Amino acid sequence: MGVIDLDGVEVRLANRVVLNNLTGELHGQAIGLLGPNGAGKSTLINTLLGFHLPSKGKARVFGLDTHKDRAKIRGGIGFMPENDSFIGNMSGVRFVRYMAELAGLPSGVALERAHEALFYVGLGEVRYRKVNTYSLGMKQLVKLAQALAHGPKLLILDEPTNGLDPVARQRMIQLIKDIRKEGSVRLLISSHLLRDIDETCDEVLILKNGRIASLCNIEEERRSNRSFMELETVGATERFSVSIRGLGCECATFPGGRIKLVIPDHIEARDLYVIASEQGVQIRRMNQRRDSLEDIFLRAMDNDQGRTANGSL
Amino acid sequence: MAVYKRNYSAYAGTVTPVWTRVLVLARYAFEEAWSSKITVGLFIFCLLPCIISLLVIYLADNPIARALIGGRGPQTLAIDAKFFLKVQQTQSWLALVMAAWIAPRLITFDLADNALPILLSHPISRFGYVFGKFIALFGSLSLITWVPCLLLFVDQAYSSSQPWAMSHLQIAMGLLAGSVIWIAFLSVLGLALSSWVKWRAVATGVIFAAVFVPAGVGAIVSAVLRTKWGLLLNVPVMMSNLWQRLLGAPAPINERLSVPTLAIAAMLSLACLVCVGMLNKRIRAREVVRG
Repeated sequence: MGVIDLDGVEVRLANRVVLNNLTGELHGQAIGLLGPNGAGKSTLINTLLGFHLPSKGKARVFGLDTHKDRAKIRGGIGFMPENDSFIGNMSGVRFVRYMAELAGLPSGVALERAHEALFYVGLGEVRYRKVNTYSLGMKQLVKLAQALAHGPKLLILDEPTNGLDPVARQRMIQLIKDIRKEGSVRLLISSHLLRDIDETCDEVLILKNGRIASLCNIEEERRSNRSFMELETVGATERFSVSIRGLGCECATFPGGRIKLVIPDHIEARDLYVIASEQGVQIRRMNQRRDSLEDIFLRAMDNDQGRTANGSL
Repeated sequence: MAVYKRNYSAYAGTVTPVWTRVLVLARYAFEEAWSSKITVGLFIFCLLPCIISLLVIYLADNPIARALIGGRGPQTLAIDAKFFLKVQQTQSWLALVMAAWIAPRLITFDLADNALPILLSHPISRFGYVFGKFIALFGSLSLITWVPCLLLFVDQAYSSSQPWAMSHLQIAMGLLAGSVIWIAFLSVLGLALSSWVKWRAVATGVIFAAVFVPAGVGAIVSAVLRTKWGLLLNVPVMMSNLWQRLLGAPAPINERLSVPTLAIAAMLSLACLVCVGMLNKRIRAREVVRG
C-alpha cells in the first residue's frame, strides 16, 4: 500500500476533464508534484482532500478512499494551501489552536501544540499578533504551523515557497527538510519550481494536461544516469577514443577534442586517466553529468502522450 | 513539552470524537460574536424591554402597587397572551438587529481571508461548518428571545396570586415555538446573506433589506392586484400572524392583514430552502469552476 494510490482517477469540472486516467502508487517519504500551470496539481490535491469526487476511478490515501473516508483522511492530513488562507482577525496562536482543535486535539493540548508549532516554524515571538498583520513570509509560515500542529501523517504543501524572498524560501526549504528527516510525516509538495522539489523530494509525479507525464524516484533516476560523461581533450583524440572503446565504453567524438561517453559500471574515471597518460593525451575537463530533475521534467514535457518513466505504473 | 523546544514531534495522544468538531466551530464562532463591545452593548439594550416587562408584571401582581398607580379592575395591567405577544414581538425585532450585527461577523471574516480551504481540510463537512455557525447565532439570539420571555412567564407564574401557569401553558409553548421559528429563520437568512457579501457593514444592511424590502414589494403587489397574498412577502406581518396564533392572542381587527398559517409555513420553508441553496453555492473549499 502506497501513501497515495491512484486507480484510473478522472476528475471533471464544468464538463471539462481536468484529471485524466491517473494511475500509480506513490511511496516516497517526500513526494513532489510537478507540472506547468493548469496541469492539474491543485485539482489532484483537492481530490485527495475529498473536495472533488472522481468521475471515474478511485484515489486512496493510506488505503482510505478519498470520498467515502474523507473525514478520516482529513484527520490525518495537514494542508497548507497555495493562496492566502487564514482568519486574519485572530492571533497566530489562536488561529493555530483553532485548527488543531478542529483536527481533533483536546483544547488544552491544542493550545500547547499551537505554541510549539509556532516556535518550530519561527513565529514564536509574533504569535500573539493578529495574522493579518503578518508579512507574506509569516503568513506562509503560520499556514505551515497550522498544518503541523495536530501531528499529521501526511503533510500536503501547495506551493510552499510561493512569494517568498530567497532567505524566507531557504528557511521554508530547511523546515521541510527537517520535517522529512524527522520521519513521522510523509510529504506531498506541489510546486512549479523544480529547485524546490529537487531539494526536498525523493519521488516526483509530473503532470501535464491532467495526465501523468512521469512518475519516478528521483534518486534512482539519477543513479541510472551517473555513468554519462563528457571529456575535453588535447592530443590524439581519435586514438584515445578507440582505446576507451576497447574498455567497453560507448563514445562519440566531436570537433575540438570533445568526447561524450557512457562508461560501464566496472570502469572508473581513473582508468581513463591511465590511458590518456599512456597515449600522451591531456584531459582538460571531465564532467560526470547527472540527470537533473530539470532533464526529467523536460523529457516528461516532450512526451505528448504522457507515459511513465519507470515500471511502477 | 516546553514551548522553547523547536523540534517537530508527532502527536500520539487522544483525539476528540468527530461530532464534537461542530461544537469547536460553534464555540469559536460564539467567542467571535461576543468579542465585540457592540455585541455586549446591543445585548444589554435588547434586555431593556424585558426589564420593563418585569416591572409591569411586578406592578400587575402587587395589589399595593396597583392601588398606587390607580388600577381598579383586573384588566388594568393584565398579564395575558396579548401582553406576552407584545413582549415577543419587541424581542423578536431586536433579535433581527442582533442577527444583522452578529451573522456577518461569523462568516465574512472566514470568507474575506479565504479561510474555507483550511477550515474544510479538517474533518468537518460543509454542513458541519454551517451548523456550527448556526448554533452560535441561534444561541446568541436565544439569549434575547425565548430565554428572557420564558423567564418572564415563570416570574408571572410565581408572582400571580392565583393558579396561573397551567391555565396559560399555551403562552409558554407559543413563546418557545414562535421564538425558535423566528431565530432559526433569522440565523439561516443571516448566514446565507453574509456568505455572499464580504463586507460586514454591507452584509448588515443586506440582512435588514432582505426583511423589509420584500414587504414593500408585497404591498405593491397587493395594491396592484387587489389581493392580500402580497402579504406573503411581508415578513413582519407574517410573523405577527404566526406569533398571535401560537400564543392564542386575539386576532387583529383588520382581517385584510390575516394570512393562513399554512401559507406562512410554506413561505418560511421556501425562504429557508433558498438560503440553504445560497449557502451550498458559497460555502466551498475552492472556487467553483465555470465552463
